[in-house]
Amino acid sequence: MFDQAVMMSHIVFGVFGILFAVALYMDVSNASETNLRRIKVLSWLVAVCVMLSYIVGGYWYVQYYGEHRNIIKAGQWPWAHTYFMEVKEHLFFIMLILSIYLPVAVHGGGLLAGRKARRLTQGVCLLIVLLGLFMEFSGGIIGKSITMALLRR
Amino acid sequence: MREAKIERFTAGFGLSAAASILLNALILVVKETNEHVMNFFKSLMGHHWVTHGAIVIGMFIMLGFIFSATNLPDRLDAGRILKYLIWAVIIGGSIIAGFFAPNLRAAL
Repeated sequence: MFDQAVMMSHIVFGVFGILFAVALYMDVSNASETNLRRIKVLSWLVAVCVMLSYIVGGYWYVQYYGEHRNIIKAGQWPWAHTYFMEVKEHLFFIMLILSIYLPVAVHGGGLLAGRKARRLTQGVCLLIVLLGLFMEFSGGIIGKSITMALLRR
Repeated sequence: MREAKIERFTAGFGLSAAASILLNALILVVKETNEHVMNFFKSLMGHHWVTHGAIVIGMFIMLGFIFSATNLPDRLDAGRILKYLIWAVIIGGSIIAGFFAPNLRAAL
């Protein structure tokens, strides 16, 4: 039960990270004195959610994934581990770096003064969203591969 | 309207993010193709992925402060940093996805 709770919180933090990045993208489009504080808060929320997803997911990966990996590799979709999990676990570092960078870009980027500065923040948000969607897609395939393998037994 | 200059930490850490993203892909290739490196990573922190993450995040923070302390940020604007980041994600992501691509043959 504990390992399932850990896994679910990894997914939930990841989804919230993506949603906050979408909200931040939209807010930066209309950056003004009125919403600047919210923009800063959103940038921190993206960073915190992705970091928590990394810590919780990393804990689950190190503690529990070994057993799941053996089931996947013996099942019908062994490539769910050899491709999707391998790619996911290494692409995650890119998403993590971009998420940590986001508050730095927002706080020092002069959002109200220039179009390029707004584009930088929006570009980073977009990269986080795209990477996040790939994480969710890969996670779905990995989860399904375990179901497929167990059904076959 | 003239673009306002971005703060030096934004430029320095932006540059560091691009470099760390590429370094991440490089570390992956090295550890996966060299057994000694893989075993060394495992012995350092118990799991190769944990060590890999610690190095990448550590490099991002360290390079961020180093780049911010140089005069590099003075020559960069937000547009150029975004370009570096996009290219780093494309190149780093392609290396990672491409490296494991042969494992997909089993799916076909």
